[in-house]
Amino acid sequence: MTAISDTARATRRLSLRNINFALVIFVVLYAAIVVLQPNYLDAALFMNFLRRAAPLIILASGQLYVILSGGFDLSMGAVVTLVVLAASMLIGGDPEMTWVVIASLYAMGLAVGLANGFIVSFLKVPSIIATLGTMLLVNGLALAWSGGAPRGDLPDNFRNLGRLVLKDVPLVGSLPIAVLILVVVTLLAWWGLHATAYGKRLLAVGDNPRAAELAGVPVKPTRISAFVISALSAVTAGILIGGFSGVSVNAGRGLELQAIAACVIGGALLLGGRGTVVGALFGALSLFALFTLLNLLGLPQALRDSLQGVILIAAVGASVLRHRRST
Amino acid sequence: MTAVLEMRGIGKAFGTVKALDAVDFDCRAGEVHVICGENGAGKSTLMKVLGGSYRPDTGEVLLDGEPVRFQHPAEARAAGISIVHQELSLLPFRTVAENIFTGMEPTRWGLLDRRQMDERARSLLDRLGSSISTSALVADLSIAEQQLVEIAKAMLVNAKVLVMDEPTAALDDHDAHSLLKLVGRMKTEGVAIIYISHRMPEVMAIADRVTVLKDGRHIWTRDRRDVTINAIVTAMVGRELQDFYPARGATEPGSPVLEISGGQSRYLRDINFSARAGEIVGVAGLEDSGKGALARALFGDSPLAAGEVRISGQPVSLHSPRQAAAAGIGYLPGDRKREGIAPRQSVRDNALLTLQAMAPALSSPNGGARSRQKVDQSLRHMDVRAGDFGQEISTLSGGNQQKAIIARWLMRNPRVFVFVFVEPTRGIDVAAKAAIYQTMRALANEGRAIVMISSDLPEIVGVSDRIVVMHQGRIAGELPAGAEEGAVMQLALGVAAAATGREMAS
Repeated sequence: MTAISDTARATRRLSLRNINFALVIFVVLYAAIVVLQPNYLDAALFMNFLRRAAPLIILASGQLYVILSGGFDLSMGAVVTLVVLAASMLIGGDPEMTWVVIASLYAMGLAVGLANGFIVSFLKVPSIIATLGTMLLVNGLALAWSGGAPRGDLPDNFRNLGRLVLKDVPLVGSLPIAVLILVVVTLLAWWGLHATAYGKRLLAVGDNPRAAELAGVPVKPTRISAFVISALSAVTAGILIGGFSGVSVNAGRGLELQAIAACVIGGALLLGGRGTVVGALFGALSLFALFTLLNLLGLPQALRDSLQGVILIAAVGASVLRHRRST
Repeated sequence: MTAVLEMRGIGKAFGTVKALDAVDFDCRAGEVHVICGENGAGKSTLMKVLGGSYRPDTGEVLLDGEPVRFQHPAEARAAGISIVHQELSLLPFRTVAENIFTGMEPTRWGLLDRRQMDERARSLLDRLGSSISTSALVADLSIAEQQLVEIAKAMLVNAKVLVMDEPTAALDDHDAHSLLKLVGRMKTEGVAIIYISHRMPEVMAIADRVTVLKDGRHIWTRDRRDVTINAIVTAMVGRELQDFYPARGATEPGSPVLEISGGQSRYLRDINFSARAGEIVGVAGLEDSGKGALARALFGDSPLAAGEVRISGQPVSLHSPRQAAAAGIGYLPGDRKREGIAPRQSVRDNALLTLQAMAPALSSPNGGARSRQKVDQSLRHMDVRAGDFGQEISTLSGGNQQKAIIARWLMRNPRVFVFVFVEPTRGIDVAAKAAIYQTMRALANEGRAIVMISSDLPEIVGVSDRIVVMHQGRIAGELPAGAEEGAVMQLALGVAAAATGREMAS
């Protein structure tokens, strides 16, 4: 009996270490930020940090579903761009339109997600190629639609979703709406993955699709839904980004890679079958803390991309090494 | 005639399994030496040693009397040993000439000499009596023509020894006949030909000598004149019966649980099959006999194109594994790594997978029948040995993985009526084998129907209540419990068709 509980403890320690990896990186980076700018310890500034990190965390949570199913979703950034441009043109500055337009944005996301899922499941195109295709397609359509120079403005009630900060909230002091949305989305993502039969199916599909199929798992619907979840999370992130950054044709550029990097830093296995929402959350926070740190250091913007590359390679390398040692 | 090739005391072990145990073998110039043996007898391993893919643990290989030690297949090929594999190894989108010369392309001033390549390919094909164009794409050729290209490739290096591993397995009668004529022609050119085949008529038609291997050991080598098909079959299967098979059910089997009538698919013809409650039906057959296709049809993985399937008298449609699982068919794959386990998930999650698959998507993954207590109970009932059921299943032994997958279906109790076991004990050690047989018998005694598809003859004979033997996509015959292994093998080999073999010889 003691032997069993010993091994049980060992495995629990192991899974904690998986999460700790991203958590440790985040704490170290945030500590470095605090050294440069001590006021980042204020609750208000931390909330602001979370608000700005919210879109990336939401994207990473969505991307995680696709990665766990054994794929990639490269079309996320394009969906963000589409959302920002479409919102500005459809709303045309009329606050009355906001909620109708938000509904239609989600419909567009649904369409992109379904398209990705169907192409991957039925045409058997590898997801990296399929979503590269939809990325180019969606980006191109968004730019053509806006004519390269977006017209129209986002009304305040739309932008508030991204930038409004509630003051004098008990316990936390100030609370940005975006952080509220972030908490809801992260909880939803956690619930879907770790507290439903669907989550178990998704992991099995990513781990061994053939075995999953033979065990009776509906592999195609499971895969398709992962792409839909990913696209819907991209719409949510796009709405927040439009809120605090305003309208730009580059709104979503490169976000898909950041989301993938966040998942990997958070311990998700790139070939599927292993990963957690908590890991993706801290992976995204680490990445965003890194960006903040580089800004504070005054490093040129271009170096951001290079360092992101280094971090990504280091994270994947570390996870491969960790895995090799365990087998 | 002296032997071109001699293999003396070849031994090769994989882990604790002896694949080859002091095997002697030789082949002379201008003879066809056939090797016979069951699946797993060691034929392929012996040829891989010869071809330089494996290094033997003991023994030596002599070529023209000189000892050779190949480190790599390319060395064996350069020394004049060519192997035509069962799965062709041609590049589909290259031309015939390019394939023949792969790895040894003629050059002029460092550039590819296409003209010389085409001319030499042409003359090789002419020698083989073939009119295939040297510029045709291999993908456009029939399997028989592709085999010819393989042989031409072998002749390019002036092969002294040509190994053909079940070359006619994928051919129809006409093409098989031409291939045998070609083998005859190669023989007159003085090539030593080693020919592996399951088809007895063919063996009798072309062999000069026959060697039988069994369990990695050499049984005998005899002149064709001195052997009969029966002698070969007996030598192939004759081995001591092991006593770890469970006692058969005391009661008569009940009503049919699973019935297939008039089943047809690309690989199956006229399948009429049934399995009754409480019985274990063994399905035997050689590698390409359609027994695997029957298993996949039962599990909706490659569905029947025509015919009717009933479960407990109700017609069901089995067009996907999910439908089959819903209809009450449990599937235990032979290749656990590829088809059974989700390696990085826990033992628990693997055991729960089918329940999760059938439950509402948004239901809790550990509620009700899926509670930790119930899984652990089921895993313990199957005697799955693991330090902790939360550990990744890939860390368990093959036997324990198999038991966890059985638990996966037992969790759906009592909705599984038919269990389809495919190669239930492949790669599993003897002790775990006995446990799996006990489980199968226990499942049958609970009134379920068990269909066991297996290449392991002793297992088929030892466990089955009824034996269905398949041959070339059809059910060749049915035998009662305790039938002789030889009788099963004769049906599996289609020995009734021996007459055509004699025609080939004349």
